[in-house]
Amino acid sequence: MIKPTSWSSREESLLLLNAYIDDELDAASALDVERRLESDAALKAEHDRLRQLRSALESQIAQEHASDDLRRRIAQIADSPGAVVVPLRSSFETRDGWRRLAMAAALAAFVAGAGTYGILRQDPVSNDVATIVADHRRALLAATPYDVASSDRHTVKPWFDSKLALSPQVVDLASSGFPLAGGRIEILDGKAVPVLVYQRRAHVISVVAVPRTVSAVSTSPSLVETRDGYSVIRWRGRDFDYFSVSDIAESELSEFVARWRDAAIER
Amino acid sequence: MDDKQRFAEVVLPHVDDALALARWLTGNRADADDVVQEACIRAFRAISSVGDANPRAWLLAVVRNTAFTWIAKNRPKVMVTTDDEGTFERAGLEMVESQASPETTLIEKTDSENLHHAIAALPLSYREVLVLREIEELSYQQIAKALSIPIGTVMSRLARARSLLIQRIGMAGTGKAGVA
Repeated sequence: MIKPTSWSSREESLLLLNAYIDDELDAASALDVERRLESDAALKAEHDRLRQLRSALESQIAQEHASDDLRRRIAQIADSPGAVVVPLRSSFETRDGWRRLAMAAALAAFVAGAGTYGILRQDPVSNDVATIVADHRRALLAATPYDVASSDRHTVKPWFDSKLALSPQVVDLASSGFPLAGGRIEILDGKAVPVLVYQRRAHVISVVAVPRTVSAVSTSPSLVETRDGYSVIRWRGRDFDYFSVSDIAESELSEFVARWRDAAIER
Repeated sequence: MDDKQRFAEVVLPHVDDALALARWLTGNRADADDVVQEACIRAFRAISSVGDANPRAWLLAVVRNTAFTWIAKNRPKVMVTTDDEGTFERAGLEMVESQASPETTLIEKTDSENLHHAIAALPLSYREVLVLREIEELSYQQIAKALSIPIGTVMSRLARARSLLIQRIGMAGTGKAGVA
């Protein structure tokens, strides 16, 4: 129950009026609102409008009813133990993301069923990739996909220095059509790691830089995989392993990585 | 009780409500079907973790999060404008104005089409609170939990959503009266 502290503003009295109509106030506060309504004509008018709106919503908004087809598909979800495989409706073919998801589920079912769980464990980086894609998606849902917004690498790099005492290479690719947008920090395998954020038209590219303990040559080829419709390309750079993730076309992301590596080597 | 039984008791009875929420969030029925199916898959995976308190509110929260993932992917522009500060300010102004004009009779006479348009035109962050309260009839507490926002934010978004609706219905009504 919500207790009003005071009636300090018009705005607050409207909030309380709404809570009153929603039956969310305790008895004493509800009584207080009722007294106000008797003496405050403007508040009473607002009260009447809100009541009208409520009855309009009640009478005019029809209930949704799931189709038999949807009900059947949902009921089948619980029918496949261990993994979820559902039949796809025909228009799914045009929906790439959903199809990939279903294919991932089907693959999971196959792997679990065949007892070949071991093949998933060959690559310890695989878990990191899942985490990186999940983080990228979370970042897209946030108000901004970065904690520090700057297109200037001389701002982004020192920011990582001060936050993490880590300094990944930050290259400027604005001239190639991949402007730097900023940076954020992600927790990967329990450690805070820097993430560079680039833009490509309306799309966001995250570049996660994972510090490497063993130094290695930076000319190894990059590895590509896709997960839930996101392309992930990883490569080894100077002192860091880099992962780039985005929903842009894989070929475009490859171009981005190639230019990024070129620029990093030049400096 | 096994997972299948639990799924049948916790999820299946609320599919219509799940569909209503998805329909209001995505804007159309075909996308809502997809979102609900995906949400039910997620719900089944997490079925052993759901408590007995309010499985319907839990399922609606899953649907809401699934819908947001879907919107972020398929309509990224909608997400960008959701928490736009300007929207909050405009909404505040409109609320003050709406007190002055007596549209009560127009609200009473509004038809379902007008009302649908007015709800669909609400910014996503207002719409979801309004739908969870008015159509799904969740409590403030349940909405706050489902959306991971403070109760005060639920209250202000709900009040503003309603003010915007009253305002828009009033304007639609005035327009019609003018034509006639």
